[in-house]
Amino acid sequence: MSYPPPPYGHPPQDAPPPPVAKPRTTLAVAMEQSRYRLLVTAAVVTTVFSAISVKLVAATLFVQAGEPRQHHALELDGTTTNRADILDRNGNLLATSLVTQSLYADPKLVSRPDEAARKLVSALPELDYKDVLTKLSGEKRFVWLKRNLTPKQQAAVHRLGIPGVSFEREERRFYPAANLTSHVVGFTGVDNNGLAALEQSFNKRLTEDPGTPLQLSIDLRLQHVLKKELAATVQEFSAIGAAGIIFDVRSGEVMAMTSLPDFDPHDPTGLDPDTLFNRATLGVYEMGSTFKIFNSALALDSGKIRVSDYFDAIHPIKIGRFTINEYHGLGRALTVAEVFQHSSNLGSVRMVQQVGIPAQKAFMTKMGFTRPTALELPENGWPLVPNPWREVNSMTISFGHGISVSPMHTVTAAASIINGGVMHQPTLIKREPGAPVPGEQVVSRQTSEMMRRMFRFVVTEGTGKSAGVKGYVVGGKTGTADKQKGRHYQKNSRMSSFLGAFPMNDPRYIVYVLVDEPKATAKTYGYATGGWVAAPAVGRIIKQVGPLLNVPTQDESSPEILNATYLNAAGSTNWSAPPQAPMSATPAKGSTVASFPTPAKSQR
Amino acid sequence: MKGKTWLFWGGLIAAAGGVLFQTSYDVQDLEEKLAGLNRKIVTEQESIQVLKAEWSYLNDPTKLEEMARAHLALQPVEARQFLALDVIPMRPAPAPDAPVQPLPGRGLTPAPLPPMVAAPAAPQIASARVPAPKTPAPIEQALEKAPVVIPAALSSPRPAAAPARTAPIKPSTLVPASARAPALPPASAPLPPAQPSAAPGKLAPNQPLPSLNRPTDVASRPLPAPAPKAAAPAQARAAAPQPYTPKPTDSLGLLVARLGANQ
Repeated sequence: MSYPPPPYGHPPQDAPPPPVAKPRTTLAVAMEQSRYRLLVTAAVVTTVFSAISVKLVAATLFVQAGEPRQHHALELDGTTTNRADILDRNGNLLATSLVTQSLYADPKLVSRPDEAARKLVSALPELDYKDVLTKLSGEKRFVWLKRNLTPKQQAAVHRLGIPGVSFEREERRFYPAANLTSHVVGFTGVDNNGLAALEQSFNKRLTEDPGTPLQLSIDLRLQHVLKKELAATVQEFSAIGAAGIIFDVRSGEVMAMTSLPDFDPHDPTGLDPDTLFNRATLGVYEMGSTFKIFNSALALDSGKIRVSDYFDAIHPIKIGRFTINEYHGLGRALTVAEVFQHSSNLGSVRMVQQVGIPAQKAFMTKMGFTRPTALELPENGWPLVPNPWREVNSMTISFGHGISVSPMHTVTAAASIINGGVMHQPTLIKREPGAPVPGEQVVSRQTSEMMRRMFRFVVTEGTGKSAGVKGYVVGGKTGTADKQKGRHYQKNSRMSSFLGAFPMNDPRYIVYVLVDEPKATAKTYGYATGGWVAAPAVGRIIKQVGPLLNVPTQDESSPEILNATYLNAAGSTNWSAPPQAPMSATPAKGSTVASFPTPAKSQR
Repeated sequence: MKGKTWLFWGGLIAAAGGVLFQTSYDVQDLEEKLAGLNRKIVTEQESIQVLKAEWSYLNDPTKLEEMARAHLALQPVEARQFLALDVIPMRPAPAPDAPVQPLPGRGLTPAPLPPMVAAPAAPQIASARVPAPKTPAPIEQALEKAPVVIPAALSSPRPAAAPARTAPIKPSTLVPASARAPALPPASAPLPPAQPSAAPGKLAPNQPLPSLNRPTDVASRPLPAPAPKAAAPAQARAAAPQPYTPKPTDSLGLLVARLGANQ
């Protein structure tokens, strides 16, 4: 469109303005509008793209959200198994998990079951052909054929190349010490669940933290010595069983614990159930004279009775239909020391009569005889305590009948009596060296000190002479209890025990031996009491265990030892410097250094 | 221009792609390697576990005891075999020996030297002979010469001292004597061959210096007698410094010094 040439005389500027003004309005509006639209679009697009890019950056740079890594480096200390090892206090392996292969089959994939079964039985002779055949021809999609093959067996089966038969990686619990610690460590089932002892009580801990082994307070060497001597004793006296405990008096750690007969933890099923029975913790027995430890401690701790007090031990006590009598009476009044020394029942009863029933009940409760011990075993026996604690119960309890506790109860309580009066709960788990040991004062230091002398007195001049070991100032208390069968006490089946402790000037360990139904032999002149059966075993154990436990040997006739452990029948603790009385008692225990071969034989 | 830009970007993309692929394959390789290593580690751990179990199984105290009984003549330790440390007495007579013993101890090495400087043969023979009767070690030669030499060596310097010394030698503590006996022979061993012919003849002229050394050595053994002891160390010290001067170099230096002295 061309404008007509402007008439001359008129400047050309005049003409355009009106047409310009008109289109400006419409165009401007349109321009404005489109600009806004563009702006909005750009904003939206920018927002979206920036959001995407932010997310992109975040996703690629800041988050490790790429392809997941297929492999990660293994942790150095990680174990391959799902159950923690169990170690003894020196780090010896007591239980460990080994990886094995188990054989299973998918019967649907087995084309010719009879041939497969025949081949399998030829490779694994312990399998039963018919059994395997029925398994392979069944309708299930999964059957176990054999668990935990050895590598050799695995190779043999592998070589057969039977379709439908394959292996599954499994773990098997293995116990290198086998029978030695079976009652402590226990065993697991085929699926590695703990079924007994520590394997059961620490099942959760073992499976949750498989990397760190569980360290026990048990010492394998002591365990061996204990078991060896117990087995010898059981054999010598044709006993039906035995239990033994070595106990650290200062920390409450159980250093060794054995119960005979024991079992092989690899194959615990199908055996005599008696072998699974832990006599040391689950079995509760009337302890017999060993309980006079607590009776004497009760009497002394009550403050009403002193060691030198005399008690009538001549006249039998009649109560109801019972008559309490002496086992080997002396026919005279006895001091507290002599009551303990000769294990006098009558004296014990007279002592508790003076102290009173409530005090006795309270004391026995304080000793822990009314509840199971705090030991970490599921096999923890409940004591049998008389429910109405009558006078007759009180009397019989004074010499260890009428109340049944486990050997572990007895040892724990006796430890608190001689270690200065502090009760430490027993434990099978190693305590950190230097860590404070929880304890509770149950008897006074003075009582404890006097009880040490009484312990020593029993071994130097009392019923426990055969437990003496030159060099390790041994003390202890014998115990013989008639066994109750049904409602009656049997004359010839008894529990003979000895609770020994050493060194008595500063007790560190208790060695306890309990023999179930020992039969007297010619060598013991027809006796099968604690002093004849269990005390020699304790002596032999201490002799072997003392060096292992780092207990320094001491000259038993040296003044320091005698000052710390001397007690005479009159209840006097005064040991005069060049003494006539103690010398007559201790000449056999001369210098440890000088006398050479004789001591070893004389103990046997 | 446009073509070049395309080429540039295209090349860049291709290069990036190439590197990316290369990296991806590398990573894949490494992953496989890692998986292999992990598998190996697990196998190793498992076999370590098996070995541990086997070790514990073989270390079963019951087994060990049986084997010990079958193959060893050892018995379990007993209390009587233990002694407290303070019960063990100190080495006997540390006081009298202390001042003297260091001298022979040190003197052992210097001992061969002084004779080399002054009179090599004489003192050596004496020292060799003296232990001979006590310990069976010295050779027959020594025994042959013993009667000849000893009286000469001992009696010539100090007749009075000789009997006194011979007597104390036997009762004197065996420890120092036995300790010296093995040490001295090696020093004297090379010398005897030269001495046999010259021994009696040379002794007399060279005596003065060696005789001083010799008695001190002999005296050190019976030393319990206090009087000679006091004098002996003094003599020894007096005599010792002289040989020391050439020595400090070394055995070779000593040899040279000795040769020079002899010439």
